[in-house]
Amino acid sequence: MNRHLLTAVLLSGLVVLLVVATEALGVRVFDRIATNLCVSLVLVIGLQIFMGNSGILSFAHIGFMGVGAYVSALLTIPAQMKGMALPDLYPILQGIQVSPYLAIALAGVAAAVVAAVMSYPLMRLSDAAAVITSFALLVVLHTVMTNWSNVTNGPRTLFGVPKATDLLLAAGVAVAAIVGAVAFKESRTGLLLRASRDDEVAAAALGAHIPHLRWRAFIVAAFFAGVGGALWGHFVTSFSPNAFYLHQTFVILGMLVIGGANTVTGAVVGAFLVTGAFESLRSVEARLNDLKLFNDQVVGLTEIVLALAMIAVLILRPGGLFPSREIGAVLARAFANKKKGAA
Amino acid sequence: MSKPILRATDVVVEFTGLRALDGVSLALAPGEIVGLIGPNGSGKTTLINAITGQVRLAGGSITLGDRTISGLKPRDIALLGLARSFQIVRLFNEMTVVENVQAAALAHGAGTRAARATALRLLHELGLDARADELGASLSYGDKRRVEIARALAADPAFLLLDEPAAGMNDAETEALLHTLAALPAQRGLGLLIIDHDMGLMMRLCHRLQVLAFGKTIAAGSADEVRRHPAVIEAYLGSEAAHA
Repeated sequence: MNRHLLTAVLLSGLVVLLVVATEALGVRVFDRIATNLCVSLVLVIGLQIFMGNSGILSFAHIGFMGVGAYVSALLTIPAQMKGMALPDLYPILQGIQVSPYLAIALAGVAAAVVAAVMSYPLMRLSDAAAVITSFALLVVLHTVMTNWSNVTNGPRTLFGVPKATDLLLAAGVAVAAIVGAVAFKESRTGLLLRASRDDEVAAAALGAHIPHLRWRAFIVAAFFAGVGGALWGHFVTSFSPNAFYLHQTFVILGMLVIGGANTVTGAVVGAFLVTGAFESLRSVEARLNDLKLFNDQVVGLTEIVLALAMIAVLILRPGGLFPSREIGAVLARAFANKKKGAA
Repeated sequence: MSKPILRATDVVVEFTGLRALDGVSLALAPGEIVGLIGPNGSGKTTLINAITGQVRLAGGSITLGDRTISGLKPRDIALLGLARSFQIVRLFNEMTVVENVQAAALAHGAGTRAARATALRLLHELGLDARADELGASLSYGDKRRVEIARALAADPAFLLLDEPAAGMNDAETEALLHTLAALPAQRGLGLLIIDHDMGLMMRLCHRLQVLAFGKTIAAGSADEVRRHPAVIEAYLGSEAAHA
């Protein structure tokens, strides 16, 4: 089998396994965790598409998650609820109500369009300058979300987003993201972009138009961020702009860095590992608090452990757990070596 | 119509306080192998960088046929059919060898499948089949050099500019490289410009040699003419005396 196909099948299989195991157990809390994990997968894989292939750290990603969440909310909150949820909404938007599934797709498109317009002049930048501008982009998006009360209800929580995301939908989108990311990586754009990631000068000397390649990846990444945000919005049904800021950025980046930004396998494994660790730590935290060992509540254990894990990975294995080869390639090579050894 | 000639005319390149090239001219025709030699710091690499757009000209011009290419971006110059290798190898380290070569074909408009087929064929020609699936970073120095040549060839260039292709290769590898390179102009009708310090290789391979010292051409001609040229002897003895 083609090794790229093998990668896509194995990673998708992991998601299917998650769904089957969760359904078999039938525990409500696992259902919530698994759905959240699938949403995280969409976000992390989206970030991998830009960061992994271009080699440029992007802080802006979660901003586009917010764009997606708000667009989908605007398109789906029932007209009679909009008066309460968004008192200052423009009249033209008041009557609009589409199916959540259509809204989720449109949210991705909207995020991609915003990204395309905002990022075009930035794609010439490399290294630290690019990272800092991406951070500025996150701040801009956050500021807009907190202040454009007409459509976001300002810094206050936006209620009334219809529940539409269940495990099956989230898992389905996650699988689509996996297939999309593997296909993008192996596409002409993906391969040339990876070349520019490894050596900008050499890639330009081959004739690669680097800003353009980066721009395409940024748009695709924003699309998945928008879809992920919309999925999440239709899962939790109420949120405020703070959900799409530093904390979430840190978590998603942590997943990608620990797994390995250069590979889709790394993105998927990172999301699974970090989610698993978070949920176990949360229950440890709850136990500790139940035991009342300390005078104060134990909080923030999860973030501290994630930070330590990121530091450990960056020191011990700077490329993450899957630094350069996808799982399909790893297995294909191992198999080929074994055959060679036997012959 | 015959294929255009790559021509550098009175090229001047300045780095702060230093004139790296001081009015150098050079012509390279399709099917020709021209060698660029000279002591360290004489401006050989700078000339290649100037031709491929990596450094700006302070004077003079580079033309391809009727077209002036000096001032264009490296990317646009590459797309006009100029491929190069680098003095310090610049492979795509986290990509496989076949992907390294594939990238060049893709940049020049091939589809992914066609690019892969081209890459595998070139790797075979350069004796790198067994390395195809290795990561760029994991190769030996000599292999990296050869991958760079394969990558440059995958762009199907009209002119190939190689900066020290034999550096770090052993005698057997250098010999194999000599045969590969010598056959290129006839096979592909391309013009080849080579920098190398291996004089044995250069004398046998190049149709013409041009000698640079301190940013100026001090001699040009056949291997024998250059070897006997008093300015060349002085430049080389002078530089060796400086090393001693």
